[in-house]
Amino acid sequence: MPGFRVFRTSSFRLALMYATLTGISFLVLLAVVFLSTTRFMRHQIDDTVANEIEEIFANSPNCGLDAVRPAVDALTKHPSGFLYLLQDSGGVLRAGNLPPLNSKEGVREWPAASARSHSAFSAIRGRGIAIDGGYLFVGWSTHQLLEMEEMIIGSFAWGLAASIALALVGGLIMGGRLMQRIETISNTSRSIIGEGLRQRLPVTQVGDELDHLTGSINAMLDRIEELMTDLRQVTTDIAHDLRTPLTRLRQRLELATRPDAAIGSLRATLDSAVTEVDTILSIFTALLRIAQIEGRTRRAGFQVVGLSDLLSTTAELYGSMADDNGQTLLEAIEPSLMVNGERELLMQLFANLIENALRHSPRGATVRVNASRFENRVRVSIVDNGLGIPQDERCKVLQRFYRLEASRTTVGNGLGLSLANAIAVLHDTTLELSDAEPGLCVSVSLEASQ
Amino acid sequence: MRILLIEDDTETAYYISRGLAGGGRQIAIARDGRGALHRALSEPWDLLIVDRMLPELDGLSLVQEVRLHSIYTPVLFLTTLGGVDDRVIGLNAGADDYLVKPFSFAELLARVAALGRRQPRPTVETRLRVADLEINLLDRTVTRGGHRIELLPREFELLVYLMKHQDQTVTRAMLLENVWDVHFDPNTSVVETHISRLRGKIDRGQSTPLIHTLRGVGYSLRAWI
Repeated sequence: MPGFRVFRTSSFRLALMYATLTGISFLVLLAVVFLSTTRFMRHQIDDTVANEIEEIFANSPNCGLDAVRPAVDALTKHPSGFLYLLQDSGGVLRAGNLPPLNSKEGVREWPAASARSHSAFSAIRGRGIAIDGGYLFVGWSTHQLLEMEEMIIGSFAWGLAASIALALVGGLIMGGRLMQRIETISNTSRSIIGEGLRQRLPVTQVGDELDHLTGSINAMLDRIEELMTDLRQVTTDIAHDLRTPLTRLRQRLELATRPDAAIGSLRATLDSAVTEVDTILSIFTALLRIAQIEGRTRRAGFQVVGLSDLLSTTAELYGSMADDNGQTLLEAIEPSLMVNGERELLMQLFANLIENALRHSPRGATVRVNASRFENRVRVSIVDNGLGIPQDERCKVLQRFYRLEASRTTVGNGLGLSLANAIAVLHDTTLELSDAEPGLCVSVSLEASQ
Repeated sequence: MRILLIEDDTETAYYISRGLAGGGRQIAIARDGRGALHRALSEPWDLLIVDRMLPELDGLSLVQEVRLHSIYTPVLFLTTLGGVDDRVIGLNAGADDYLVKPFSFAELLARVAALGRRQPRPTVETRLRVADLEINLLDRTVTRGGHRIELLPREFELLVYLMKHQDQTVTRAMLLENVWDVHFDPNTSVVETHISRLRGKIDRGQSTPLIHTLRGVGYSLRAWI
C-alpha cells in the first residue's frame, strides 16, 4: 500500500513527535492558566463577601441575630447579586434568599467540582459565621467562575486540536514531498540498473541534504561510468591485440596439419608456435602486472631504496645493448640518492624507460639517464635524441596497447610505458613526457627519503 | 635424483612429470598439502617442487612446516602467484627458488638441475676453475692459461655465477635474478649482449671455447662441446 508509506517516513514520525510535544506543552500551559485564573477569581469573591459581611455588621447597633436581621432583610430586597441566609439556632430561616443550611463556619463552596450545574443558585461560594447560636451566610454566585473555567478549557482544547492537526498535516505534506523525491531517486536508480549508466539522479534547486546526497551519488556514478568505459576499452584492446598473434598461430598450426605439409618442417612450425605463445603470454604477464600494481595499496612494502645504485645497475644492464645498437647510453646520476619505494618496481620502471628510449631511437642516438635532488624530491629523466613523440600523442602513449604508427613494426607489446606509469602512480607521481628537441624526455619525480 | 612434485591439478602434474622425466630423475606426485607434508617428512628427497595453492594445506604453510622439522631439502615453488610480494613471501617461507607459471620446461629443468646439484660446500671457496680458466675470489683476478684477463665488476659477477654452475644450463632469467637482481623479463637481448662481451674476453683466440649458447634456453660454461 504505497499510500500509507507516508506514515512510515521519518518526516511524518518527526511531525507526530512534534504534535505530541505541542500537546504536552499545551496541557502544562492550560494547568497553569486555569489554576491561577480560578484562584484569582475565588480570592476576589472571598474579598467581596468579606466586605459585604462587614457592611451588614456596620449597619447593626449590636452583633445579635435580631440586630442583623433588618439589615439582611433590607439587602435581600434590593437584588445586588449577593445571596444571604440568616437562620436561628433551630435552623429556622429568619431572613435572606437562600434555603436553610447546616451551620458550618468559614468559606464554603458548592456544589463540589464534580457536580456542577448552570443554575445561578446552585453554584455558590461564600462565608458563614455563627451569630448568637444562629448562622449568617453571605455568598456570591460562582456562575462566572465556572463559565471562565469552561472557556479556558474549551479554548485550550480547540487550540490543542488545531495545532496537533496542523503538525500532522504539515508532517504528512512534508513526508509526502520527501517520499516523492525519494521515490524519484529510487526509480532513477532502478532504471540506471536496468538501462545503463548514462542517467543521473535529479537534483532540485533546494540545496538541502537530499540534494547534497544526490550530488554525491551522481559524482559516484560519473566515476563508475568512467571506470566502466576504461574497462571496456581495455577489454577491447586486449581482445584486439591478442587476435593478431592468435590468428598467426592458428594459421601456422593449421598449415602444419594439412596432408601436403612437409613432415620435415614440423619442428620449425612448432618452434615458431611456441615463440608465438610466448609473445601472447608476455602480453598477459604485463597486463596482470599492471593490474596488480594498480590494485595495490600505496606504501605497502615500501622501503628506503638507494636510487643511485639502482639507476647505475639498470643503465649498466642496458649499456652493452646500446653499444651493440651503435647508441650511446650516458649517465649523470648524483651519488647516494635515496627514495621511498619498492626496489623491484622502481627498477622495472627505469628499465622500461631506458629500453623504450633505446628501442625507439635510431643508430647513433644518445640516451641520457639523469638523476638529481631538488629539495625533497628526486628527479630522474631519461632523455633521447631520437624521433620523439608528437605533442598530441604524448598522453596517449601511457594508455595500454597504444603504439605510435611509426613504431608498429618494432618489437614490444605497447604496455611498457603504461606499466611504467602504473608504477609511478603507485609511488604517488606520474610520468611526465616532454620534448627534448629533438627526441623525447620522460621524467619522474620521486619523494626523497632522509 | 628423487623429486616430490606437489601439485593438485592432475593434468599439470602429468605434464610436469613428463617434462622432468629422464636424466636419472624419479618423480613422485602428491596432490594435497597434508599428504605431501607426510611424504616430505617421512621419506628422503633431493628436491620438493611445490604449488602455492593446494587443498588442505597451502604450499607456503607446507614449506614452513617442513623447515620447522629441520629438513633442508631444496624447495622450488612453481606457482601462478607471480606478484611482486609473492616471490619474496615464498622465499621467506624457506623456499630456494621461485618459478612462476607459465614456464618453459627448459627453464624448469635448468632450475631443478641447479637446485639438485647444489651440495653443501664444506669450506669457503677461494678459487674456481674450469679447464685453464681460473678465478681467485679473494683478489678478484681472472686468468686463462696463465694470462691475466681484466673484467668489469659485473662481468666478474657473471663469470663467477657461470663457474659456480659449471656444466649446468643457466637460463637468462637465472642470470638476471642472480647477477643483476632483476626479477622481471626485460623482453630484450640485454643478457646476450653481456654474455657476448664476456665471451669476447674469455674465449677470443682460444682453441676451446668455454661459454656455450644453448639456443632458446640459455648458456653453459663447460670445457666440453
